[in-house]
Amino acid sequence: MLERRLYRHIDWLLLGAVVMLCAIGVTMIYSTTYDPTAGVAGPQVRTQLGALVLGFIAFAVLLVVDYRWLSDSWVTIFGGLLAMLAYVLLFGVVDGGAQRWIGLGFFNLQPSEFARIVVALGLATVLYHRRWALQTPVGWLMVVGIVGAPALLIYQQPDLGTAVTLLPVAFAILLFAGLRLRYVAILVALAILITPVAWTYGLQDYQRQRITSFLDPELDPEGAGWQQRQARITVGSGGPLGKGFLQGTQSQYKFLPVAHNDFIFSVFAEEQGFLGVVFALGLYLFVILRGLDAARLAKDRLGTYLVVGIMFGFAFQVIYNIAMSAGLAPVKGLTLPLMSAGGTSVIATLAAFGLVLNVRMRRFTN
Amino acid sequence: MRPDLDTDPGLPARDSMTIPLALMRTTVVLAFAGLGVGFWLFQVAQHEKFAELAENNHQRTIALSAPRGAMFDRDGRRLVENRYSLNISLVREQVEDLDATVETLSDVAGVPLAALEAVIERHRRDPPYRPTVLIRDASLAQVAAVAAHGIELPGLFVQQLPTRHYPTNEVGAHLFGYVGEVSDAQLASAAFENVRSGTVVGKSGIEQTYNRLLMGTDGARQVVVDSLGREIETLGEEAPLEGRQLQLTLDYDLQEAAEAAFKVAGFDGAAVVLEPDTGEVLVFASVPAFDPNEFAMGIDGETWGALNSDARLPLNNRALQNRYPPGSIFKIAMAVAALEEGIVDPDHKVVCNGGGFFYGSFRQCLTSHGTLDMREALERSCNTYFYSLGEQMEIDQIHHWATALGLGELSGIDLPFEVQGLVPSTAWKREARGEPWYPGETISVAIGQGQVTVTPLSLAVMMATVANGGTRVTPHLLKAVNEGNGFVPVPRPVPRSEVELSPETMSAVTDGLWYVVNRNGTGRRSRLEGRDVIGKTGTAQVISLQGREAAGDEKRFRDHGWFVFAAPAHAPEIAGVVFGEHNDQSGLSAEIAKHIIETYFAKKDGLLRPVLPLPSTPQLVPPVVPPVVVAANHTH
Repeated sequence: MLERRLYRHIDWLLLGAVVMLCAIGVTMIYSTTYDPTAGVAGPQVRTQLGALVLGFIAFAVLLVVDYRWLSDSWVTIFGGLLAMLAYVLLFGVVDGGAQRWIGLGFFNLQPSEFARIVVALGLATVLYHRRWALQTPVGWLMVVGIVGAPALLIYQQPDLGTAVTLLPVAFAILLFAGLRLRYVAILVALAILITPVAWTYGLQDYQRQRITSFLDPELDPEGAGWQQRQARITVGSGGPLGKGFLQGTQSQYKFLPVAHNDFIFSVFAEEQGFLGVVFALGLYLFVILRGLDAARLAKDRLGTYLVVGIMFGFAFQVIYNIAMSAGLAPVKGLTLPLMSAGGTSVIATLAAFGLVLNVRMRRFTN
Repeated sequence: MRPDLDTDPGLPARDSMTIPLALMRTTVVLAFAGLGVGFWLFQVAQHEKFAELAENNHQRTIALSAPRGAMFDRDGRRLVENRYSLNISLVREQVEDLDATVETLSDVAGVPLAALEAVIERHRRDPPYRPTVLIRDASLAQVAAVAAHGIELPGLFVQQLPTRHYPTNEVGAHLFGYVGEVSDAQLASAAFENVRSGTVVGKSGIEQTYNRLLMGTDGARQVVVDSLGREIETLGEEAPLEGRQLQLTLDYDLQEAAEAAFKVAGFDGAAVVLEPDTGEVLVFASVPAFDPNEFAMGIDGETWGALNSDARLPLNNRALQNRYPPGSIFKIAMAVAALEEGIVDPDHKVVCNGGGFFYGSFRQCLTSHGTLDMREALERSCNTYFYSLGEQMEIDQIHHWATALGLGELSGIDLPFEVQGLVPSTAWKREARGEPWYPGETISVAIGQGQVTVTPLSLAVMMATVANGGTRVTPHLLKAVNEGNGFVPVPRPVPRSEVELSPETMSAVTDGLWYVVNRNGTGRRSRLEGRDVIGKTGTAQVISLQGREAAGDEKRFRDHGWFVFAAPAHAPEIAGVVFGEHNDQSGLSAEIAKHIIETYFAKKDGLLRPVLPLPSTPQLVPPVVPPVVVAANHTH
């Protein structure tokens, strides 16, 4: 299955950049969970390292298996995802008011993290095989089903943030599959029309509060606006050169909630300064552009769809999280892929990159 | 072999992908550029602002209250000190639901909710990180209850604070004054520059006058706190500096004797005793008093209200806040004026037939005294004699000499709220009434009625001035200050004015006042064998004779009884005044003076202190005191 000559086509540059971001992530998790009195970092570091090992195994598997083979078995994979999401809703582990995890004893698996790859795989396959899909109601029905079914299950957990990340994946693939611009226009119009309705009926109180407090943090300095304000203070106080490793007062004195997770980039910005931020932003930009290259080079449209879906979803989440980490976007429970602590997120993201490299590697095969 | 779906002619050509790809790349690059600009704005352009915010976040300056300086009496006895009290305080910033927290606290500590809310309201504008003291001087049970409910009461903590303590309780209360949180009005004044809101400052008495010396310097501790406000480390600490210790001129033995004598006598009033040569205040009492300890922990509204609505006016400092007619005491000033102006000599005689006609109207005397010279006129307090002096004198001559003795003037004592009495003059009448002075009015003034009013303190100054031969000393309470290297005497305040009374005047007045006490005069109840006490009684009428008949024997219409004194006669060591409010008889005031004088000499000679008799009738009903009424033209 894996021929020796394929190795030559592995995108080592992209892989190197990804590894570097993971390393920065582990370092920052160490810093944010460091306990100065005991002199040791929290257990999250070890968990993250374990997840990275699993992640690179998943990466290797998804690199080795031909993506076309995966595409052929997408129905099984998609069914598996829905089954896991349904299982979570029924028997999942509850934490912080949400039911998102499958308890595995040593590890809590969050199936929704895999939804992006599976949706990308499903949409790519369907649109690849049914060329007129976007001109027929049945085709549209399938598209809506592939995106909508997992999104609905994830929204029920509730986890609006992760559900929403499926949209850029779908949007990117549809765009490449020939979605007419007039449809895009209709979609935008629909979105605008739906907004007030969604505001009233679709959002929970805390979600509305997060958005209003984003628009005016001073409205609620103790509650939702607090995190945002603290995020800005954290980033801004870092200055051009940063306060140094383990020296961030905002993170070390716990002014920033879930610093090792959703707000890891704020801490990075505080300790490494603008210089570090530019470096990290550069790495992420490189990873995204280099990943999109695979879409251009892909041997077939299937590969192209798969890559743009995965990469645009990745880009969306990176941009949103970094904007949020500087208080430039409403607070949403979205991790920063590759850097945030979070076992499933690491495994799923690395698996996705396995697929991207998979597509690029096989550009010359038949 | 898979079908090549890519080359199907029905689909857009592969080349068409360049447009969405370019679109996507552009979008991503623009978004990253936006992020870069955003971070640049925060981290480079506005770095200073955010750095300061971050510092405010995790650094706190905690004020360490300085204990106020202790006070001692002239013998080095400790009169005012500090103790440490447990205060339950709240940091608003750390409380999510203020109302719920305060309600819970009210529940577990058993404190009325309204009281706690009032405190919160008062400190509404303080920075949210500064602790607000909710319960001062909490009991151990309250502290334990708060600790037990720690989880429901975030942001509450127990603070140890130095608190003023007055071991003598009510004794000397008007002299020491009391402390309390600085008021907004005080904060606005220059004397309270650099004082933080919430600081405990002097509000009355010595505590107020010497607040700056007593206050000390608060220390500060710079700490690092985490997001829950827990102190993580101390960056630096500046220890608080205790306030200066003050030694007062007060003689606590005499003070206690004076206040005890009032208790036994069963009436209210005031007593001031001075050292005539220096102006040092040995006794300064106003009865009834209050317990300054109740203010030390922040007085509660109920106690404050009770003190203010008490008909006996315990907060009123009778020694210097009230004006009364001096009555016959004023005859001392008349004698001095007449002799020094050369109107008469001491042997000048007048015949008293129970009164006489002056400026066309009959003026009464208490009885028919027959023929008297000036010494006898003082002894018997004969009105007719002093009417006749008044007839021969200008009001401005009287004004001049009364002023030289300190009447109608501020004494300049180092206590707040002193009021000025009045000795009329032609200038005063022109200004105040727009009328010339009528000589007939001088007749009333001559026996201390009419417009003449004095404070008890100013009568003490008069006696000291007469006793020392004409130097109007400034009464003062501060003797020495300890800045940390032992007590250093403070310079004595300069006399307010100085005249030299002639030996004839001195001898005549001294003789007259000696007769008052040691012959059959009105002050014989203060006579002490071998001590040569001199003195003079006086009555301040609160209602005219006619009105009195109508009012019956109601206590609030009874006369005030004065007694001024000095001893020993020819080289006085003490001089003073006793004012008895509505005690009806100046002789009762003389008894209190006697107890003070006796205690003074007993202490000086190392003898047993005199013992007071038990009060004959326990005081059951507190007398009702109306505002001071100045009226009538009768005296004895």
